[in-house]
Amino acid sequence: MDEKKASRAARAEQLAAQCSDLMVQIRAEKDIKKKQKLIAKRETLHRKETALRNNRKISREARRDLVAYSFIAPNFIGFAVFTLIPIVFAFLLAFMDWDGSNAITFVGLNNFKKLPGDTFFTAALKNTLIYCVGTVPLTMIASLALAIVLNQKIRARGFFRTVAFFPYVASLVAITAVWSMIFHPSKGPVNYILLNLFKVPQSDLPKWFSGGLVLVTLILFSVWKYMGYYMVIYLAGLQGISAELYEAGSLDGANTWQKFRYITWPQLRSTTFFVVVMLTINCFKVYDIAVMLAGGGDGKLSTSATVLVYYIYQNAFNYWDLGYASAVAMVLFVLVLAITMIQFGYEKKLEA
Amino acid sequence: MKRKVLSAVLASAMIAATLAGCGSAADTAGSASEQGQSEAGAASTEAASTEAGGEEAAADGEAITLKWAIWDKDITPYWVALKDAYEETHSNVTIEMTDLGSTDYMTVLATELSGSGSDFDVVTIKDVPGYATLVSKNTLEPLDSYIETAGIDLSQYGGVDEQITVDGSLYELPFRNDFWVLFYNKDIFDNAGVDYPTNDMTFEEYDALARQVADPTFGSQVYGTHYHTWRSAVQLFGVLDGQHSILDGNYDFFKPYYELVLKEEDDQICRNYADLSAEGLHYSAAFSGGDVAMMNMGSWFISTMISSLQSGEYDSSLCGNWGIVKYPHAEGVEPGSTLGTITGLAVTSVSDQKQAAFDFVNWVSGEEGAKVMAETGNFPALMNDEVADIIAGLDGFPTDEASKEALSVSNLYLEVPYAENVSEINDILDTYHKSIMNREMTVDEGIAKMNEEVGKVLGQ
Amino acid sequence: MKQTQQKKFRSARKRAIAGKTGIYLILIVITAMMIVPFLWMLSASIKSNREVFVMDPFVWIPEVPKWDNYIKIWTKIPLLKFVQNTVFLTIVVTFLQLLTSSFAAYSFAKLEFKHKNGLFLAYIATIAMPWQVYMVPQFIMMRGMGLNDRLLAMICLQAFSAFGVFLMKQFYEGIPGELCEAARIDGMSEYRIYSSIMLPLSKPALSTLTIFTFVNTWNDYLGPLIYLKTESKKTIQLGLKMFIGQYSSEYGLIMAGSVVSLIPVIIVFLCLQKYFVEGVASTGLKG
Repeated sequence: MDEKKASRAARAEQLAAQCSDLMVQIRAEKDIKKKQKLIAKRETLHRKETALRNNRKISREARRDLVAYSFIAPNFIGFAVFTLIPIVFAFLLAFMDWDGSNAITFVGLNNFKKLPGDTFFTAALKNTLIYCVGTVPLTMIASLALAIVLNQKIRARGFFRTVAFFPYVASLVAITAVWSMIFHPSKGPVNYILLNLFKVPQSDLPKWFSGGLVLVTLILFSVWKYMGYYMVIYLAGLQGISAELYEAGSLDGANTWQKFRYITWPQLRSTTFFVVVMLTINCFKVYDIAVMLAGGGDGKLSTSATVLVYYIYQNAFNYWDLGYASAVAMVLFVLVLAITMIQFGYEKKLEA
Repeated sequence: MKRKVLSAVLASAMIAATLAGCGSAADTAGSASEQGQSEAGAASTEAASTEAGGEEAAADGEAITLKWAIWDKDITPYWVALKDAYEETHSNVTIEMTDLGSTDYMTVLATELSGSGSDFDVVTIKDVPGYATLVSKNTLEPLDSYIETAGIDLSQYGGVDEQITVDGSLYELPFRNDFWVLFYNKDIFDNAGVDYPTNDMTFEEYDALARQVADPTFGSQVYGTHYHTWRSAVQLFGVLDGQHSILDGNYDFFKPYYELVLKEEDDQICRNYADLSAEGLHYSAAFSGGDVAMMNMGSWFISTMISSLQSGEYDSSLCGNWGIVKYPHAEGVEPGSTLGTITGLAVTSVSDQKQAAFDFVNWVSGEEGAKVMAETGNFPALMNDEVADIIAGLDGFPTDEASKEALSVSNLYLEVPYAENVSEINDILDTYHKSIMNREMTVDEGIAKMNEEVGKVLGQ
Repeated sequence: MKQTQQKKFRSARKRAIAGKTGIYLILIVITAMMIVPFLWMLSASIKSNREVFVMDPFVWIPEVPKWDNYIKIWTKIPLLKFVQNTVFLTIVVTFLQLLTSSFAAYSFAKLEFKHKNGLFLAYIATIAMPWQVYMVPQFIMMRGMGLNDRLLAMICLQAFSAFGVFLMKQFYEGIPGELCEAARIDGMSEYRIYSSIMLPLSKPALSTLTIFTFVNTWNDYLGPLIYLKTESKKTIQLGLKMFIGQYSSEYGLIMAGSVVSLIPVIIVFLCLQKYFVEGVASTGLKG
């Protein structure tokens, strides 16, 4: 390597020397035509020389890039193969008709045209939207409130924080099994308390996992499970607010509410943005919660509880209508994208 | 610069996509040529076997290993029994079983078979919707030519084969045939001083009996009857007359049966659907708990009852004294009409030893296989008096005459016959069954939705 | 004057105490809501099926605790196999995730190179893309590669997330660049700088990423449901769901299995949680 470099440098020096020689000749030459020829010759030589020198510079850059790429490669190759390619594939598939075995055919927008008339799709879309509209604000408020309380100097703070994070860590299968026992319509403790303590007549006891109530149960469950996770994010945000701001607030005689309204809330704006975006994305991909809480024994969802991802799964792996499944997935993607963009725009507007 | 990266990524993805597409096309082409080859190969082995005469001829042939897809090996006794019996008479054949589990078996199998790496020779077909999917994906081998050469008389299946014929071709041979009967707990009837159900009951009589034997006293509650959460448990009542089918597209005939069941729920004659669904209660747990007087269920539950009582899994003081009778029937319909579900075996289109695979399929669904099935307490597709005797003679089978007689079926209709979109139809009926039973919709609304949605599928 | 001040002070203190009590009350209620399901799970796991729903009188610990639920659960289903699979998957995925994302993140945060923005954009764009959108084509592709029904598929699927790179990059950007510059002037190679300077500094971020990855992999349901078919390859979540389907009324056993499935995650969480809030704060996850 070094040898090569040295030889290349020597060659460049040689060229430089030739150039200056030529320069002398050019100055001495009187004949215009010959002079022009010599000038042209010198130009090419000079170009060669700079190329040689620059070449060395490019190679240093290339080496720098190579090192950087070597850092990225292990992750990026995996990421590109297992994420990027399937994403592009997903876009293409939405315009195709394919059952996974026979030949693929291009069907244009047919898959999308089928969507509005599909009762199960519209039900899934509606349920997913209701679920998101219920879950996002509730989780946000609950986790923020919890974070503010747990940011105070109180005893056993660590314990409370850990406990609040427990449901997030717990596995969904296990915890939904507990929930369906606790909320069991006729034997569960929740309805038992409603019956005996609150004297709700037996016939009016809520059936938590069916009918219109099932979405409410799903929302409650999600808030319960994910509150701790977003609380930690808010905690981190709260710790970034300098204490001086609060001291200044106290000096101005601000009460707790005012401090929250004029210091905490604005300071947490970017955190809230992040929380809301993450919550939205996570809400739209709800599947396992619905299947486990509302699916009953066979894991099938009726129109009152079906969600988009369930319908994607159903079309892909039960009916093998992969194109249609991808079309539904595109709707999911566009929704998430649109909502994220709206939030992004709103955040930008606030910043300005 | 960004644009460049993006276009590069896009391009590579396109290449990948097309490659995947080509790959699958190439696969099918490949399997087609393989098919030709193996057929040629099969012909020669066949020739050899006819020459030597008799089935044993294959014993001289080279060693063959057949890969067979099944489910729940540990709790289903007949897989191993069939394998052992076949290997005993065909010493050159080794059967290798792969357990894909019973939950989502057909989904899993469809995934396996649409992959290029599948090496199954024989697959078990659990239900008709799954069968329809596999056939439409060209993953199963049409068996017609094999059936013809082997000279199989399809009439022995009593017309069931017609209900699974796809465009004139048959892709599976049934080896198991379960039909719905009514299980009942004799102790509960004895305690209540009520007569046992009989082999000839109309739905009105059945309903009255359930109401008679039920006891809503809290703490010692007894349910007159039990309906599992499957739609079959309710909807099949309507198909018993042989004039209606699940593929009709008009389901108004379900109405009286939904009303019957919902009324029983209201009067606490049977467990509430919402409860069952919330806890996902398994029907076996419901019946073996000793507080259910009657339950309509498939005949597969007979062998479960026998073996679970023997192993002590079920408490015999709760459900040890049980019996079966024929399904109740509508006024004017011959008693003994019932619904059946078949389980079949098929040969995959990618198998490179199709003849050997078919020989195995033929053996299992034939008389010898039927005997093995019956001895393990299961109902073979080849049902005759001898087989019924074997099952009724099993240790642990109820000893009363009515139970034995319940095994003779007068009319058997398939729960789900073949149709191209049977998978979607099945799901639609499931969904609205749920809605009706959860009381999210009235019976009329639910049935109207069934008619509407299935109509859309059929109209396509 | 002095008296009124004292009064004011006293009433303020009173108010503060009242406030504190209020806070504790709220906290206790919330904590109860968070923890009761877990206590119920523990309690039900040592009860017989009949005792589980007995409300009058309700007891947390039955007179005769059925500890053998915890023994039976291992024989009713191949729980050990499920646990082994899940542990294997989780450890490999977490390890790969930590290694490759911190590696890539170092490059994005501290090195200059061509196409840096373009590449990072590719990562960012997919964070907002739910996996469910492309799970079907991904599956088709993986199946084409012969990865169907292999634990390896799950590893490929989960080990290279954009999220990990993003999280680590945010963290590394918070580390002053002078540190690296100084090391470079000393003639350290980039690999040395990464391994002996950056890595030791990134404990909080690595802990955070470990918790996230561990929890996600351990608890993943849809991924294994699509990819892992044979029973001997199933993860504990699938196994548990299967068990619930088969033995729906064996409440005690179901709860015992659930408790078993929780233990590893909770251990990991408790070990790493002291770095956790710090980690979230420094990785810029707060936005």
